[in-house]
Amino acid sequence: MLAAVGFNPRCCFFLFLFFKFKLFTMDFGLVTICPNVKPFFLCRSFSAFLLFILAGVSCNSVGKKIYVDLNNTVPCVRLLNATHQIGCQSSLSGNVGVLHVLESEENLDWVLDSGPNPPYMVILETPLFTRSIMMKLKNGSSRVAGVAFVVPNSNPAGGFSPHTSCPNENSGVYTEGYDPTLANCKNTVWNPLGSGLSYEDFDFPIFSLKDDNDTEVIRQCYIVHNRPVNGSTPRYPLCAMQLFSHMSAVTNTPTCMRRNDINFSISPEYVCDPLGDSNVWGSSRPLNNTAKGHKMWESVVIAAARLDSRSFFSNVAPGTESAVSGFVTLLAAAHALRNATQEAQPNRTILYAFFQGEAFDYIGSSRMVYDMEKNQFPLDMDNIHSVLEIGQVGLRSDSKLWLHTDPVSRRNATVNKELIENLQLVARELNISGEEPNLSQPLPPSSFQRFLLNRPIPGVVLEDHRSEFYESMFDNREYLNITYPPELTPEEQLEYVTDTAKALTEVATMVGRALYKQAGGEDSQLKNINADSQIVTQMLYSFLVQSNNSWLQQIISPDSIGHLNDRPLNLYVGVYQQASEPTALVHHLLANLTGSVLNITQENCNNQREDEEDKESKHMYYYIWSQGAAPPNSTERRGFCVRSTSRVFRALSPAFEEHNYTNKAYSTWTESRWKSIRGRIFLVASHELEMLTLGVGIGVLLTSLLLTYFISSKADILFSSAREPTNATY
Amino acid sequence: MNLERLPNEEKLSLCRKYYLVILVLMPLIFSGGFAFLPFLWLVNVVWFFKEAFLKPAYTEQLLIKTYVKRSALGLLLWVAVLTTWNIIFQHFRAQWGEVGDNLSFTIPLGIP
Repeated sequence: MLAAVGFNPRCCFFLFLFFKFKLFTMDFGLVTICPNVKPFFLCRSFSAFLLFILAGVSCNSVGKKIYVDLNNTVPCVRLLNATHQIGCQSSLSGNVGVLHVLESEENLDWVLDSGPNPPYMVILETPLFTRSIMMKLKNGSSRVAGVAFVVPNSNPAGGFSPHTSCPNENSGVYTEGYDPTLANCKNTVWNPLGSGLSYEDFDFPIFSLKDDNDTEVIRQCYIVHNRPVNGSTPRYPLCAMQLFSHMSAVTNTPTCMRRNDINFSISPEYVCDPLGDSNVWGSSRPLNNTAKGHKMWESVVIAAARLDSRSFFSNVAPGTESAVSGFVTLLAAAHALRNATQEAQPNRTILYAFFQGEAFDYIGSSRMVYDMEKNQFPLDMDNIHSVLEIGQVGLRSDSKLWLHTDPVSRRNATVNKELIENLQLVARELNISGEEPNLSQPLPPSSFQRFLLNRPIPGVVLEDHRSEFYESMFDNREYLNITYPPELTPEEQLEYVTDTAKALTEVATMVGRALYKQAGGEDSQLKNINADSQIVTQMLYSFLVQSNNSWLQQIISPDSIGHLNDRPLNLYVGVYQQASEPTALVHHLLANLTGSVLNITQENCNNQREDEEDKESKHMYYYIWSQGAAPPNSTERRGFCVRSTSRVFRALSPAFEEHNYTNKAYSTWTESRWKSIRGRIFLVASHELEMLTLGVGIGVLLTSLLLTYFISSKADILFSSAREPTNATY
Repeated sequence: MNLERLPNEEKLSLCRKYYLVILVLMPLIFSGGFAFLPFLWLVNVVWFFKEAFLKPAYTEQLLIKTYVKRSALGLLLWVAVLTTWNIIFQHFRAQWGEVGDNLSFTIPLGIP
């Protein structure tokens, strides 16, 4: 077939006329993909196409010849709140633009003004991903088809934060009504590097590309086809990129939630979903989970940490310093307290709380306070004695930790006195200097603010606030200086105690002891409360390198095995209907680190009972069947049942419970739905050539129609001589 | 049905029916959303145009002519009203917010 049809130039010409212009681009695409196809590439591709039709091969193969699909892309998606939409979107059929690799800010002129082939798809590298450049692109968006951001392999020097300079500005406690001098970060700007890009609305797609072979292909394609040489304009075919990220929701949350409810059509179309997930909590003493509302004689010290982070791109939010350092410390402290609280029970209960969705106007903590107020939580606000929140503790200068308190509460000096003194005391023993900031400094962004918003309760936020990479994709383990010697196997890395792990263990010991003392425990017990650096380093490895490791595989229950991944955790909270990555892991870890192993069957364990008659235990405890390890000479894992107080509860903003999306008191963040998110590159022919091809095609079609009409109308004349002999035989 | 084979009286009654059915059902058009019912007028105009204006004169032709003319007029009016409403609706749907959404059968994705 190939020999007969493929290499005949004349046949190629005729075939060529019948194909639409899209196919034309395919031929150029073929040249890039197979550079050694030289002379008759047109014929080859068309005969190949003919072969596909004959062999019944699907059209996908043609698509593969035209396009190079991009792997490892992460998009920026649209989020909405009560009043705004933020994020990015493409048109329904994807945005197509000619590639332009931006080399400097001056180079923007080519994209926005002088370049002859708009719209352009701009390829950016880290130093150019700044507010000024992005805003120029946003304002010149008629010439900008989209932006692709190449993620560097190491963190940028000097910091980078796409978040706002005053995180959760309007949902914390510091409003004009609370204290006018502290509102809107007037005294302390918590995120001075924040460019606010995460909160801008772009009407073109922005993707991030991992710096690997794909980006090398893109660069080559740009250099060969698009780069202007000596001021001359580049000639067709040009290298182009198409990005699809069409978003269904628009305007704001009230609009999209309303449209979710209106459904005339046969197949209902949902456009957005609320952000949220589950909070995790546990207590040092079991609390009856079925009886909600106030518990008599119960006084709890809440130890809190946040579970989530975010970044400009939806699925890369490592949150190492902003979230992982805090909740790993709290988990280690809870582990350190297990024996002490069982042997010498302090007067008060310690409640460990891990909040989800805090990056989006405190979803988790506002829900806990709401549930406590509405008697939907086993405790209420009156049961709270004090709050100790662990924020960013991974990086400390001169082993210093700040004990942040609310300056408004501090005017009444005695409120936080007990907690501060306890913290100072245990810190001194561990050679950590716990310092108090001056009176004009408000609390950093923290869950505790949502408790203060309800009523003045004593509380301290333990943190050494950093903002170099706040809420960005670079808040990763490199930032926290967690590195492993290169020769170690994954199994050895899991056990390798880094300096960061040692430092965090120290903080965890301090937190554990301070909590014990705050709960009214005996001073003599304090020496026995020591966090385990092995556990800390295993947790850090699990959250920052890969959660799919031998340690977590033992702890996790068989049905949660899907939560384990071979990459660093993504701490973006995501939509409420989908489980976020850290929640299940933290739930299982808290159970294993604070609970006790029981010798009961898997069936009883899964049914939340200790034996067949047991109907009471499920109110007090939660049972998790862990996979366990396989004995040395067997491949089958030997599971075990863990009894603990570790539970999850809804972290959905109360705004969605009350269906009130304009109320400013609660988070109203939603994420838009989308149908397809992908990107690809290909070569485009000039507009004139495309139109010429189309025109010739239409011309041939019309000519053939005319010819057919003419022939059929004169058929009796044209074919008469041929018919007569046959007629004569009958 | 072939109009050619019909006697002239029946042609007239048919044309009349097509013309009147809309006026009789007018309340339905406004209350029940039968917005495309005046489409019958278009059918009437196209179908009887030859009969009314091109055929040699016969007694019933005068009335058929009137009905066809009136149908055409009604059709034009209806097209004008529908177009006006459509332009107003498309232009202001986003501004009307909730009302606009409730008036829509399918809500376009990704635009206000």
